[in-house]
Amino acid sequence: MGKVIAVSGKGGAGKTLLAALLVRKLVKTGHKSILAIDADPDSNLPDALGVPVESTIGDIREELSVKQSRLPPGYSKDAWLESRAFEIMAEAPSFDVLVMGRPEGPGCYCSVNHMLRKITDSMMGDYDYIIIDAEAGLEHLSRRTTQNVDDMIVVTNGSLYAFNTAERIKNLAKELRIGFKRLYLVVNRVDPSHEKLILKRVESTGLEFAGAIPEDASVAEYNLLGKSLLELPDDSPAVKAVDEIMEKLSVQGGK
Amino acid sequence: MKIPVEVGVVHEGERIRKEEMYVELGGPKVKSKGELVRVRKPSEVKDGKVEVEGPDLDKLKEGGRYPFAIFVEVAGKKVEEDLEAVIERRIHDYCNYMEGFMHLNQRYDIWCRLSKKSYEKGFNTLKYLGQALVTLFKAELPIVEKIQVTFITDEKKVEAFVNNARKIYEARDARARALSEEEVDTFYGCVLCQGFAPTHFCVITPDRISLCGSINWFDGRAAARVDPKGPNFAIPKGELIDKVNGEYSGVNKVVKERSLGETERFYLHSMFNFPHTSCGCFESIAFYIPEVDGIGVAHRDYVGETVLGVPFSTLATQTGGGKQIEGFLGMAIEYMRSPKFLQADGGWNRIVWLPKSVKERVVDDIPAELRDKIATEADATDIAALKEFLKERGHPVVERWREVEAVEAVEVPELEAMPVGAPGGIKIILQNAKIHAEKVIIKKIK
Repeated sequence: MGKVIAVSGKGGAGKTLLAALLVRKLVKTGHKSILAIDADPDSNLPDALGVPVESTIGDIREELSVKQSRLPPGYSKDAWLESRAFEIMAEAPSFDVLVMGRPEGPGCYCSVNHMLRKITDSMMGDYDYIIIDAEAGLEHLSRRTTQNVDDMIVVTNGSLYAFNTAERIKNLAKELRIGFKRLYLVVNRVDPSHEKLILKRVESTGLEFAGAIPEDASVAEYNLLGKSLLELPDDSPAVKAVDEIMEKLSVQGGK
Repeated sequence: MKIPVEVGVVHEGERIRKEEMYVELGGPKVKSKGELVRVRKPSEVKDGKVEVEGPDLDKLKEGGRYPFAIFVEVAGKKVEEDLEAVIERRIHDYCNYMEGFMHLNQRYDIWCRLSKKSYEKGFNTLKYLGQALVTLFKAELPIVEKIQVTFITDEKKVEAFVNNARKIYEARDARARALSEEEVDTFYGCVLCQGFAPTHFCVITPDRISLCGSINWFDGRAAARVDPKGPNFAIPKGELIDKVNGEYSGVNKVVKERSLGETERFYLHSMFNFPHTSCGCFESIAFYIPEVDGIGVAHRDYVGETVLGVPFSTLATQTGGGKQIEGFLGMAIEYMRSPKFLQADGGWNRIVWLPKSVKERVVDDIPAELRDKIATEADATDIAALKEFLKERGHPVVERWREVEAVEAVEVPELEAMPVGAPGGIKIILQNAKIHAEKVIIKKIK
C-alpha cells in the first residue's frame, strides 16, 4: 500500500480544505497515483476538488441490502460490489475520488461491510498516495475506518474546544491501540495576533506541530464561486502553507 | 506465440484507470456483454483453439467502449455440468493475472479494460488472452482436459450470445434454488456478527439463509472456499438426528464450540426447545403468541406496534444477544420462502400475524388457502381482535385451541407460604407458573 494520510478534527475546522490542498500539492509535484477518500458523511471533498461524484459507498451498501434477496443464487455479491465500487469512483486525470457517503440504516451491515472493507483495502493497495478526509469527531477511530493510516493530521481552528478534540483523538487512538506512524497537528485560520497563545496551546497537546494555515480570502471566494481548490494560485497563502506542511510529512516528488 | 506481457497472481486486483486505459470491453456503459462456460463432449472441443469473432484489439479505436463476450468450452472425464458455474468464476481470476488487463463482475455484467502500456508492449490481439486462459485453466484445474476459447466483439453476435447465456444462467439458478439440506453434506457457519453477540453464530443451509438475509448457502460456500479460516466456514452436517426439527450432529458439535459453550444444540427449523440463536441484526422476528397458540412475525422496518402491543425494537431486545430463547426467533424474511420454514412448529399453518408489507413481499410463498387467514396490522392490532379474526376466517390454529382449553382447565394451586427470614414469615407466590414464572412476588404477611 502507498502512503496514507488522514485528516481529522472537529466539524468546520478545515479538514476538507487541508485534504484538498494536500491532493493539489501531490498533483502539482507530478504524482499520478492518488486516491482521495471522502469519509465524512457530509461530503464536501468532491466539490473542493472540482470532481462531481454521483454515488457513494453508502449508496451501494444500501442498494445491495435492498436487492440481495433478489439476486440469483449463483451471482456473487462480492464481485458485484467490487465492480460497483469501481464504477462510482470519480476518475480525474491524475487522481481518483471515492466517497463513503451516508451512514448506515437500521439493518444489518456486518456482511456487506466485511466485503466492502476487503474491497476498499485492495483498492487502497493500488495507489501511491491515499488522502482521507475523515469524518468529524472521533467516530472514525472507534469504527476503525482510519486504522491503516501513516500520518494522522488533526486540524483545529484557534478555539479551545478544537484543541480538546485534538487531544481526545490522540488519547483515544492510544486507548484503542490504533498506531499511526505519526500524529500531527495543523492549526487553521490563524489570527496573527493570537499566534503566540496558539503556539503555547499547541505545545501542551503534545502533538507534533506540522504548521498553520492562515485565513485566506481566496479560499472563501473559490468556495462561494463553486470553483475547485485545485485551481488556487500557487502563491495563495493557504496553498503556500499546505505546501510547507507537505514537506514536513516527507512526501517525495512524483515519478 | 509468445505473450508480450507478464501473466501471474501479482497482477490480480490491478485496476486500470480511465487515463491509463486503451480500450474498455463491456462495462456499465455497454449494453451487451457476458461470459459463459459450457461443458462439452471431448469430441466437440478442439483443445487450445482461440477464436475472435468481430474486430480484434488492433482494430478497435483507442479510448472506445465495445461489446464483449468470453465463451469457454471445456471437456474432461471428471468435468460435469454442475461445475460450470465454478469454472466460470475462474475466468475472472485468470483474466486478472494478465498484466494490464482488468476483469470485474460476472455473467451479463462483465467489465474489462486493457491498459495503454500493455497494448504498447504488443498486447494487440485477444488471442494472447485466450492462450493464457487455456494454459491457466489446464494448469490450475487438472480436471479440464480440453479447452477452447471464443471472444466476441461483434455487437449482434454478442447480443445473441448473451440472450442464450441468460437461459443457461436461469436454468442453473433454478437448480440451485431447488437444492435442499438433504442433497448436501456441508452447511456453512457465519461469525460476522460475533462482534455484537459473541456467543451467536449463524448456521446456513440450502434451506436456511443467514438471519440478516445477506448470506445464502452459495455465498457461504464461495467465501469459505476463498478463506476457509475466515468468518464463513464449512460445517460438515454429520448425522441427521431429527428430521422435522432439523437437528444435525455436525451442527451441534460446532454450536458448542462457536457459542463458547453457551449453547449445546440447535433445531434449525423450530422456535421451541432449542431454537437457533439470534445476533442483533436479524431482518425479522418470529414471536410466539400464547393466547392464540400461533406465531407472529415483525420486521425491522415495521415501526408500529405489533399485535403483542410492543414494537419491533422491544421484541428485538428479547431476541438478540446470542441467547437461546424459546418462542423468539430472529430470521431473514427470505427464510419464510424456505420449504422447511419453521416446519417443526407447523410452518405457515401456525403463522397468524404479519405486517402488511412483509405479507406483500412473500405472498406468493404463502399457501393459497392461508393467504386471507393471516392477519396484518390492518386486521388486528391487539390479541382480542386477532382472536376474533382467526376464528372468523377459520385459521388452522383455531383447531388447536380446544386442546389447549382442556389443559388450562386444570387449576394451578398457589404454593403455600413457607417461613423464611423476617418475623411473621413471608409468602412466596408463584403466579401463572404453567410454563415459566412470569413473576415471583415475595411479600410480608400482615
